[in-house]
Amino acid sequence: MSPPLAAILSLSQLMVESNAGTMFELVKELHDGAEELKRHTTNPISLNAGCELFIAFVTLFPHESDSFAELKTELVKQGQKYAKEAISYRNKIAELMLDFIKDDSVILTHSYSRVVMRALLHAHKTKRISVYVTEARPRGLGVKTHEVLTAVGIPCTVVLDSAVAYVMDKVDFVLVGSEAVVESGGLINAVGSNQMAIIAKAAHKPFYALAESYKFHRLFPLSQYDLPTHNPSILSFPSLPPRPFVTPPTTSGVSPPIAKSGIDESLNVTPTSSSERSMSAEMTAKNPDVDYTRPDLISLVFSDVGILTPEAISQYLVAMFAG
Amino acid sequence: MTYLSPQISHLVAARPMSVTMGNAIRQLKLEISGSDIDLPEQDAKDALCQKIDNYIRDRIIIADQVIEETAGNKIKDGDVILTYARSSVVQKVLLGAHAEGRQFSVIVVDSRPMLEGKRLLSVLASAGIQCTYILLPALGAIITEVTLVLVGAHSIHSNGAVYSRAGTALVAMMAKLHSVPVVVCCETYKYSETVQLDSFTKNELAPQGDLFSSFPSVKARDSLTLENDEHLEILNPLYDLTPPNCITAVVTEVGVIPPNSIGSIPVALGRLL
Repeated sequence: MSPPLAAILSLSQLMVESNAGTMFELVKELHDGAEELKRHTTNPISLNAGCELFIAFVTLFPHESDSFAELKTELVKQGQKYAKEAISYRNKIAELMLDFIKDDSVILTHSYSRVVMRALLHAHKTKRISVYVTEARPRGLGVKTHEVLTAVGIPCTVVLDSAVAYVMDKVDFVLVGSEAVVESGGLINAVGSNQMAIIAKAAHKPFYALAESYKFHRLFPLSQYDLPTHNPSILSFPSLPPRPFVTPPTTSGVSPPIAKSGIDESLNVTPTSSSERSMSAEMTAKNPDVDYTRPDLISLVFSDVGILTPEAISQYLVAMFAG
Repeated sequence: MTYLSPQISHLVAARPMSVTMGNAIRQLKLEISGSDIDLPEQDAKDALCQKIDNYIRDRIIIADQVIEETAGNKIKDGDVILTYARSSVVQKVLLGAHAEGRQFSVIVVDSRPMLEGKRLLSVLASAGIQCTYILLPALGAIITEVTLVLVGAHSIHSNGAVYSRAGTALVAMMAKLHSVPVVVCCETYKYSETVQLDSFTKNELAPQGDLFSSFPSVKARDSLTLENDEHLEILNPLYDLTPPNCITAVVTEVGVIPPNSIGSIPVALGRLL
């Protein structure tokens, strides 16, 4: 179950147990509940999407019932009904995607996404496909995708994150999942998606994003660094101890050895003997988990409400949240 | 309605019909034709005056407050914000964000003949905001320092194009080239259903001579003031068109909208009205 759906169910449960007497109190309790949920996760974007969707739904629900208790029961029922229906969204999306997958398609995907998996497995029933998947460091979820696809008999190869440009010309189209689809029509997904989209655009390959409608979010990032997940420690430079002062060299050959030993002393580099090095946990912590892909890089967004262009996302969100 | 026509012609004689004038007049005519026939004359007039006041209050004053808050939220500590000429909405946004304690600096880009940026500069500087003032040709030198471009608009069109003070398009294009986000602050009463494809159509010319030296400390440099003669015609268009692909977001009182989806404004408005 994805975070936004879990959020909707927990907020519905909160409503069941709430003893708010007015709409205002109820909405306030829901906001507090949403804040509490967000506090317990490091990546609250998709959770946010679900919470805001539910709160907007509750606020805009037509008040036909006479008593508040009746209205509350109705809202809870709607919330639970929505969550149940939402389980079927991935199948709807897989069905819409099917027409875009031709026989013998070579597909490139990123990391592990449940909705992409559903689409690929569904296509595999009637068509021949082969899949490249990026490793998606640091979590390495691409390897999980590889396991799942290989188990059902889909030819799959894991590709280094740095080899996306290398493989792009062999690919027919790129297919990714999403954490959230935002108001600008852009995509927030595991870090590496933006890179993939830029390379796909340069190679003239379509870039498709799959997103259930509860992942549509009213966020509008102006850039990568405008994301709520961005903080000053990401991509920050370490503060190194000051370099020991070296007298200016008389010849150019003198200075480099002095400077180099200075740096080695201050960093305490412990040389590793293995041929493959990997980043330390401290290094990894300075890197982002998600990135933002601009709408002009995305060809189409497949969702349970239909196949939308990035421009249409904003119109859908405006229509949905304006009441 | 026949009474209104000469009034409208009088206004248009003073200043060419703009998108915003057209929208307001159309709204007034709609209210007039929708008003009750049986209402006594004075009551009908009072009701219309009330509607006009409501229009001003909702579509202009309150809209500005909403935009001030929404755009202000996009301003972060340490930002270097670039603005062009003088937009009253942008001025409000910057003053509002500063009042909330956000630490940022502003670069005001200005150009002749209007030199409106000087007035914005004095307002921002007296509020205590760190400002830099440059003329348009110097834009290329400082654009790499900028984190956000904030501009106003004269009108926005359904194809996402923004009609704004001449020079805005240059600022937006330069910003796009350097991956700096461009945010346009624009109330919905400035929205036009028409499609605008070039800067030439519907543009207006600035009056001749240095008539804009009303700002106290500007001395008219007579040597720079050109006059028309038989071989010289001075052309000072007031507006230009910024294409939608140079704009990152448009902040209106109904939400933050990407330029290619400007068509959703009437949808949002229709729900709210």
